[in-house]
Amino acid sequence: MNIFITALKDGTIKGLKTGLMLLKIMLPVYFVVVIIKYSPIMPWLQNFFEPGMGLFRLPGNAIVPIITGVFTDEYGVIAAMRSFDFSMAQITTIAMITLTVHSLPVESAISKKIGLPPVKIALFRIALAIFIGLLVGWLGGIFK
Amino acid sequence: MSATFDVIINEMVNGAITTIFNLLKVLIPLMIIVEILMVYKIIEKVATKLEGFGKIMGMSKNAVFPLLVAVFMGVTYGAGTIIEINKRTPLSRKDMALVAVFMYLCHGIIETGFLFYVAGANVLVVTLGRLFFALIVTMIAARLPYFKNMEN
Repeated sequence: MNIFITALKDGTIKGLKTGLMLLKIMLPVYFVVVIIKYSPIMPWLQNFFEPGMGLFRLPGNAIVPIITGVFTDEYGVIAAMRSFDFSMAQITTIAMITLTVHSLPVESAISKKIGLPPVKIALFRIALAIFIGLLVGWLGGIFK
Repeated sequence: MSATFDVIINEMVNGAITTIFNLLKVLIPLMIIVEILMVYKIIEKVATKLEGFGKIMGMSKNAVFPLLVAVFMGVTYGAGTIIEINKRTPLSRKDMALVAVFMYLCHGIIETGFLFYVAGANVLVVTLGRLFFALIVTMIAARLPYFKNMEN
């Protein structure tokens, strides 16, 4: 029983410590992300990548939730998708792309903390997201 | 312009408070569970059972538990568990790299699966499809010289 109580106490302390450590990394990055979200960088990126959406069998405006997701998180994607009318296949494609590559700033900061190369991981995720986007877009086109 | 400024500050404050509460709400119980699982050596037993599963992805049994946490709960919690496990029995570079491959492709499947299901995506694709995809990619990665050479 003694071990159990020690475990409870140690777990709580560790949860708090780990939480504070992660927050110290996450919050500053998050603040920068919010600024980027409202800056002219977003529309510029959207215009730049919009023509490429056809490759994933997506309409041009699908870039809005995708770019939002890359910087913010899954909730940002959902919020950005609400303003458009996508089909189930399109939503699934957008979901698979953004689930593979999202929250890049925050999650890269975390990966650096645990000793993983953030740039390599970001490039890896972007490459795989493009691949899975092509795959799911193509499959969605077949089964429709 | 001042309106936009207000919106930004508002979102920052709200987002920060939500992040702090959401993180601690999950992380403290999670760390208590990890702690209990460790002192009663349950992690070792579960990891031994899942060793075969880890093996096809080229991971040692140590790496399986943090990966499970990340896949079901999310990167932040997986990272928290890795930090904790590294303090006792550090994961090898190869384990870390392969866990990273899987974890960054597929994490938090319960939360995100539900989220995107509600938003109208195909729920099987966004959960099982994603797991399967990450499994295949990790299996391939484990067999690439780049990851193999990390053992030395």
